[in-house]
Amino acid sequence: MKKNINSNFYIPQIEKRNRLARRFKYTTLAAVILSLSFLGFFLFDIVKTGYPAFQQSYIKVEIKFDEETASNPYGIFDKTMSKLISRAWLRSLPQKIAKNPQWMGTTQTFWALLNAEADQHIKGRLSRLDDSLKIKIEELLLKEEIEKRLNVIFFFTGDSKIPENAGFYSAIIGSILTMMVTMTLAVPIGVMTAIYLEEFAPDNKITQIIEVNINNLAAIPSILFGLLGLAIFINFFGVPRSSPLVGGMTLALMSLPIIIVSSKAALKSVPASIRQAGYGLGLTKWQVTKDHVLPLAFPGILTGSIIALAQAMGETAPLIIVGMIAFVPDAVTNITSAATVMPAQIFTWSGMPERAYIEKTAAGIIVLLSVLISLNTMAVILRKKFEVKW
Amino acid sequence: MSNDLLFLLFFGGFIPILFIAYIVGKSKANKISAQGVTLHSQASQYGWLTALYTGLPAITFATTGIFLYLFDFYLIPPFMLIASALGLAALTLFIVTQNIKATTKARDLIENVLKNILILATLISILTTFGILFSIIFESLHFFQRESITGFLFGTQWNPDTAFLEGASRGGEDVANAQFGAVPIFAGTFYITLIAMAVAVPIGLFSAIYMSEYASLKVRNIIKPTLEILAGIPTVVYGFFAAITVAPFIVDVFAIFGMTASYRSALGAGIVMGIMIIPIISSLSDDVISAVPQNVRNGALALGMNKAETIKFVVLPSAMPGIIAATLLGVSRALGETMIVVMAASLRPNLTMNPLEDMTTVTVKIVEALVGDQEFDSSLTLSAFALGFVLFVVTLIINIVSITTIRRFHQKYKISNL
Amino acid sequence: MSIKKSTMALLATASIATSMLANDQIRIVGSSTVYPFTSYIAEEFGATAGFKTPVVESTGSGGGMKIFCSGVGIGTPSFTNSSRPIKAKEFETCQENGVKEITGLMIGFDGIAIAQNKETPSLNLTREQIFLALAQEVPSKDGKILIANPYKKWNEIDASLPNREIRMIGAPTTSGTRDSFDEMVMEEASKSFPTYEGKPYKKIRTDGAYIPGGENDNLIVQQLTQDKAALGYFGYSFLEENHDKISGVTLNGIAPTANNIADGKYPVSRSMFMYMKNAHIGQIKGVYEFMNLYVQDAMIGQKGVLKNIGLIPMPTETLKEVQKSVKAKTLLTKEMVEKHTVLPVK
Repeated sequence: MKKNINSNFYIPQIEKRNRLARRFKYTTLAAVILSLSFLGFFLFDIVKTGYPAFQQSYIKVEIKFDEETASNPYGIFDKTMSKLISRAWLRSLPQKIAKNPQWMGTTQTFWALLNAEADQHIKGRLSRLDDSLKIKIEELLLKEEIEKRLNVIFFFTGDSKIPENAGFYSAIIGSILTMMVTMTLAVPIGVMTAIYLEEFAPDNKITQIIEVNINNLAAIPSILFGLLGLAIFINFFGVPRSSPLVGGMTLALMSLPIIIVSSKAALKSVPASIRQAGYGLGLTKWQVTKDHVLPLAFPGILTGSIIALAQAMGETAPLIIVGMIAFVPDAVTNITSAATVMPAQIFTWSGMPERAYIEKTAAGIIVLLSVLISLNTMAVILRKKFEVKW
Repeated sequence: MSNDLLFLLFFGGFIPILFIAYIVGKSKANKISAQGVTLHSQASQYGWLTALYTGLPAITFATTGIFLYLFDFYLIPPFMLIASALGLAALTLFIVTQNIKATTKARDLIENVLKNILILATLISILTTFGILFSIIFESLHFFQRESITGFLFGTQWNPDTAFLEGASRGGEDVANAQFGAVPIFAGTFYITLIAMAVAVPIGLFSAIYMSEYASLKVRNIIKPTLEILAGIPTVVYGFFAAITVAPFIVDVFAIFGMTASYRSALGAGIVMGIMIIPIISSLSDDVISAVPQNVRNGALALGMNKAETIKFVVLPSAMPGIIAATLLGVSRALGETMIVVMAASLRPNLTMNPLEDMTTVTVKIVEALVGDQEFDSSLTLSAFALGFVLFVVTLIINIVSITTIRRFHQKYKISNL
Repeated sequence: MSIKKSTMALLATASIATSMLANDQIRIVGSSTVYPFTSYIAEEFGATAGFKTPVVESTGSGGGMKIFCSGVGIGTPSFTNSSRPIKAKEFETCQENGVKEITGLMIGFDGIAIAQNKETPSLNLTREQIFLALAQEVPSKDGKILIANPYKKWNEIDASLPNREIRMIGAPTTSGTRDSFDEMVMEEASKSFPTYEGKPYKKIRTDGAYIPGGENDNLIVQQLTQDKAALGYFGYSFLEENHDKISGVTLNGIAPTANNIADGKYPVSRSMFMYMKNAHIGQIKGVYEFMNLYVQDAMIGQKGVLKNIGLIPMPTETLKEVQKSVKAKTLLTKEMVEKHTVLPVK
């Protein structure tokens, strides 16, 4: 508005007020930008720390196989090379030889895994190598006898005390097993509860109390569920400690409120006309629910379950109390042996002193975040796809 | 016999019996209808009826037996329990099949049984709350039998270390007494929560105002889900970020001013926790601000206020109950947060006003007490439950206040629907 | 329900049920000092011996003994690590709970190293000075009575010591390292103060100068890298593994090095042990084979792999005797426990 001092509508304070209004608007915008930049900075930092872990350094070596080599793989190389080559790689040689007896007496060329200190130096970070070793590495790099490759070990090996050999595999499998238990327990119970509350429950005080109770359950700190798991599942029922079974049971209880609330919303969104048509044809309440309401509410229930799954997958505190942070290098194949899960593995690695574990922790975080983001995206896509406007 | 083998046996015998029940029931119904009599329900429903009536008594019997076994009331040997459960199933199968008539209201009976199964499922969520309450209270009572409550709630020295030796019956005169004064721990939790809310409330609230008042629909549809991502990041990841990036940064920044900050400062943990809580505050505040009816805003605009003034003096005060509720929810989340503080705060109970020092929280102490020695007869392990009990009560009160506030807010604006 | 769906459900249940029938996972608990060594061997075992890798938990020697001695069931751990010999009381508890057959294995030596941040000026302490810094009650100036510990800085104890706040991060009471520290530093030092009337004193002050650091010794190391004024103590292997961040404090002029500890010159050294529950041999796959692998020369011998990560190996003759004892599955007796050994008493 043009500043027309002589106009009857001119108020002297209006400029100041408009200035304040503009400042206010920009403050709120700044808040949004600040939040988004936290997110951006955070993701950038994690990726920057973690992506080097997806590459591992290897060195070209020649080994002559004879009796001595097969019995003592650690003595094959001279002192210098022994300080560079990974023990884990050498340790696996006898088994390889056993599988390939035709190698005996011949000389074979391999790309051997370099140990963590050498690997850190190659990636440009501080390492504990002597200068002479560092020079040797530079030489070999120039001669192209050292190269960096995609780190498949990370995805197919479990945890290890030897940093270059540490991988995420056992944690991934442990997470899968635990999630299977969680979903098998939480989804049926949650959906059944939602069906009862939506379709069958009378509208009285008791139902209200149940609903208040479910809302409260959603807000209880996760660590208290861990206490419940320890006191009742492990101590009272005797479920094996650190197993995906007890972890899954604890997480199932935590996921119940989310599944119940989203399933209730999904059931509520099915219009009454569908139900009434069923009743009109003489169907019982259960038949209407099972054959007509549930299939229509299914997309909503599915997205709710996926979101609950994603939340449960990132939970650490209750699983620590229940014991899932032991050193578990092998992937487990059943739900009653000790296992670890992805967030717990990240937690364990973050406490290890060797510098090589820092990038592994960040890499593990990248894997975990990718899984979570894809689950959430899938839920959103499914929701959009099945969204039916009544 | 190992538990696993027992389960295998039970299900191995049980599931075929259910199958047989279904087939037998259905065929009996078919036989009756083949004789020309009209059945009350469909034939398959009689099959389901038989299966249900066969299965339920057997399962209830087996479960009760297991519970009695666990409570050490009636020590029925497991093998006999399974055999008798299966026997019961077979017996009920026989009885039910004998009693199927054309007038048996299979449909209604099934309906009833299913409804009761649903009620049972609902009870599980109630049982969970009671389970948590029970286990925590039970163990806390153990703890308070040994240590004084007032000492716990008001004492300022927390040195539980030697309690382990007592529990392992290695205590004695030459061991210092364990002390359980939890005030420094409560103070640490409170302080870090305060820092977190100081970060989360301004940023969250202002972001919500922008999203609901100023942003175009397109922009809002991008920003809102992106902020939700912040809520979806696992807390262990935040903890790692706090320990590796934020804490050293704080140490460096304050070193410029000549002050020494600990690598495990309350400030570091608090800031990262605040970032985690931003989406909770912004999302809920956004909802309540959008729920304020447009006519309220129109009235203010008509009186000559500009947009910022409308928001500051009209919309926000109306939405205030909801915003307070959102803040309370954020506080409750911060109080119960574990991973960020385990990784970024320290183990040392420290009663101080300096946010640059390290301090510990209730959740950290719970984790510390329970990782390691798990025998439930030392005060050290039980102290975790006492702390958990306090945490539970406090968060419960805050949650109830928050939910009632929101409910009242929604009711207020539902009525005045001009 | 169609026949196909129902058979699939049946198969699924059966497969889940059979997968539950597994008892081939060896569980090991115990000392945080021995934890890095046992985890290393556990990994070796899983990678080369064809058995499942044992699961190792760090609970502290005391905590581990408690869980180990709680019973013989398959759910209890098969091994426990300990950075000090099993105590008579613990042995009794074991016997009472049915754990009657235990075979012990000595792993090697360890020294308790006191360390500080590498950038802090070097320090030399005597046992008595450490005692005065940490005891709950210390002799008064005239030596006649005991008073609550008043010392806040090192130079208050002895003017030659630096002007630094007394802050020691150490092990909690579940830890064997703590037991060793109490015995070999506190109780030993208290003998030179007549005020204690000959009774060994090991109560540690609780006013904040001594901070129990939890079972994870790595965290203590981390804290030392950040807090330049603090001291910490842990097993020698942690000093060795982190020598780029922390340096050792000399005790009576002797530095904590592998040689000094092996010779016995460094006054605070001890042996580390692992105990096996013989009842689990045959019940859980690989229990005896694991013990067998551990005693190999290649593992804990003078040129063994554990030496590279900070273990101080025992003399070759002692190792031979330990190997013999393990081969014979020598059972632990009350006498052996009292003499703090795992070898048969002659």
